[in-house]
Amino acid sequence: MIQWKIAPAALLSATLAAGTAVFLAATPLLAQETVKLELWSRQDPSGPLRAGNVVKAAERLNKELEAEGSPKRVEVVVRESPAKGFDDDALQLLKVFGIGEGPDMFIAAHEWICAFQEDGFVLKLDDYIAKYPQHFGTIFPSLWSSAKCPDGTYAIPQDAEARMFFYNKKLLREAGYDDAFIDSMPERTLSGDLTMDEVLDIAKQVVEKTKAQYGVLHRPNKGPDYIMAFNAYGNDFVDPKTGNLLLERDKLAAAFGWFERGVKEGVIPANNTAMEFDALRKEFYTGNAAFWMYGIWDLGSVAFPTYGLPQDEQAFFKDWGWVAGPAAEKGGSPVSLTHPIVYVIAADTKEPELAVRLLGHASAADLNTDHAVTTTHLGIKPEQLEDPRYAEAWPLARATELLKITKFLPNNAQFGELNGIIYAGIQGVEAGRLSAQDAADFVIEEASSGLEDVIVK
Amino acid sequence: MATIADELIERRGHAASATRRRTNFVIFLGPAIVLTVLFFIVPVIIDIAVSFTDLGRSLRITAFTTEQYEKVFRTDRRLTQVIGLTFVYVFGTLAIFNVTFGLILAITTTSIRNVSGSFFRGVWLLPRMSPSVLYILLWLWAVSPTEAGLVNQILMQAFGLDAPLDLLTSAPIALIIISNGFIGASMGMIIFTAAIRGIPEQLFYAAAVDGAGTFATIRFITLPALRWPISFVTIYQTLSLLVSFEYILLLTKGGPFYDTTVYALYVYRRAFESGQYGYGAALALFLIVIGMVVALIGWRFFDMERLLQRPRIEVH
Repeated sequence: MIQWKIAPAALLSATLAAGTAVFLAATPLLAQETVKLELWSRQDPSGPLRAGNVVKAAERLNKELEAEGSPKRVEVVVRESPAKGFDDDALQLLKVFGIGEGPDMFIAAHEWICAFQEDGFVLKLDDYIAKYPQHFGTIFPSLWSSAKCPDGTYAIPQDAEARMFFYNKKLLREAGYDDAFIDSMPERTLSGDLTMDEVLDIAKQVVEKTKAQYGVLHRPNKGPDYIMAFNAYGNDFVDPKTGNLLLERDKLAAAFGWFERGVKEGVIPANNTAMEFDALRKEFYTGNAAFWMYGIWDLGSVAFPTYGLPQDEQAFFKDWGWVAGPAAEKGGSPVSLTHPIVYVIAADTKEPELAVRLLGHASAADLNTDHAVTTTHLGIKPEQLEDPRYAEAWPLARATELLKITKFLPNNAQFGELNGIIYAGIQGVEAGRLSAQDAADFVIEEASSGLEDVIVK
Repeated sequence: MATIADELIERRGHAASATRRRTNFVIFLGPAIVLTVLFFIVPVIIDIAVSFTDLGRSLRITAFTTEQYEKVFRTDRRLTQVIGLTFVYVFGTLAIFNVTFGLILAITTTSIRNVSGSFFRGVWLLPRMSPSVLYILLWLWAVSPTEAGLVNQILMQAFGLDAPLDLLTSAPIALIIISNGFIGASMGMIIFTAAIRGIPEQLFYAAAVDGAGTFATIRFITLPALRWPISFVTIYQTLSLLVSFEYILLLTKGGPFYDTTVYALYVYRRAFESGQYGYGAALALFLIVIGMVVALIGWRFFDMERLLQRPRIEVH
């Protein structure tokens, strides 16, 4: 009888013990939780690692989580948008958020973040940034100003760049300018001696005396570069006291006047805004245009790989060069424009802490340098300057000189829309439909009727 | 008793026939009514509702307002120019291509040998059969402002033109009329051809015997028989041109500046390029109203009611 009693008890104990062991062994596996974080990213050949670095960062974060004994693991799901530019992308994403289908994180042009912030779509980051100095502590302070809305920081700078007027030295030489003049242009620009009008004069000489068809070319869609010309004529677009959009009729007319003169002199093509981006680049890099108003990343993304411009610094500067945006008048201030791209986190993400840490790892100096050197964008941290790869990428070092005079687009929620109106004004002027004064009136009328709180002077 | 029974049977018969009528109504007209309500009436109601809101770029409504209508009537200075251009575009395309050229194509291709006629009609149908993006790509190549553009190649090599023309900048309105007209002409061509084929041949023989020349035959036999198709094509194509803008968007993007931004494209640019959906809805409502007014005017002008009447004599 005793045996009968012991045997089932032993069997029961053994079963329980085995069950417990199996349960304990399986616990870590069962409890491990995969957190999927969705990242919205525009398909952009000029910065594939913006999203790529976040994917890589997930590996680093997961190791960190494992070391901490956390059961959570992060998986990044990239949702690519086919938008042609950051403006179209932001408009699309605002709709996506509006219908409650927004991602956990997204990549945007900095001037759009306040549009998202205004509708409560994005997470305020000041506390997180303070909490993770190892990730964010060394990011250039100037870049943070591009990530702020009136009540705080809403984004993490991902890169910066410099915008300039590239020029073709061979064409300038053919037009009769000597090397001393050509090589002194960057320095003269920085000292305020070379003016916007002189650029048109030089371009005119090139068009008249060489086979080149065009003098100055600029982007054929809405974007930041041409704002540099408006900055040169004193348009800052924001009232420093109120933060509202500011339009100054005379300064706008002066800037449009530059485009108007360019077309009248036969230097800027009347159909510049109707041409394709690639066609414009081809005209410049194959020697059919004197100047190309664009940005430093174009060297790494297009000029070197597609048009075979020399990658060696000396060889490059023998036939090519760039100047900052010249001053409007002699002795005035030259300009450059940087347009940081930023990482942003959605206000309704379920795992804000993990998203912040993930983007913190994506902002690591080595990963950011991968992006910087492969696409010729400027880095975000001083330690990147010590990376030999960064040092070897001479366009970055040379373009960094322009950061001294650089400006940002205003972080105003309505600037994206205002920029669309300004672009339409440029189209009107170049196509001969508007005079410079008409274009200034057009911008003011359109902005006053379509946007809110616009200050007109 | 017998009378009551008969009455009951009769009533039942009436009831059954009423039920059958209702069933037939649901079966035959139901799907069409559902589709019309879903795709025509509901969107108009939604559009009216949205036009009284401040629906903006993030698709959120924070207030109900008449602000959009104030903008339409008071502050939007582009609108007059846009409406004027739309009139030129619709009237130009219709008058030159969709009706006149369609008619010329139909008359010429039915007056030559059948094989040749079918061939030329086939050629003119090609633009309609091509995908719109491909069709416009061909146009972009044809009018490219460089020496490589087809038009410039012809003008420079055959006519000795010095510098290439940039038609997209210098003649954008003509371009959108021609590119739309090449497609629109084929619809008129087919309908008019069918109508011409339907004219009894003895009328042409009789006219020939009476000594009528080509133009007299067209004037007194062909054109009178085409009154209904011409009226239909005019009204249908007017409405179609008023609301379609895809070819313009692809060819000129509405530019240079606002030069080729017709009303429908203007609505699109306001709503989808600027994110002003509430304002776009208010503008679209006027397009619906304009469309209805044009349709009604056309109806009266062409006396469509009489044309749609049942023939008084049944022809077997």
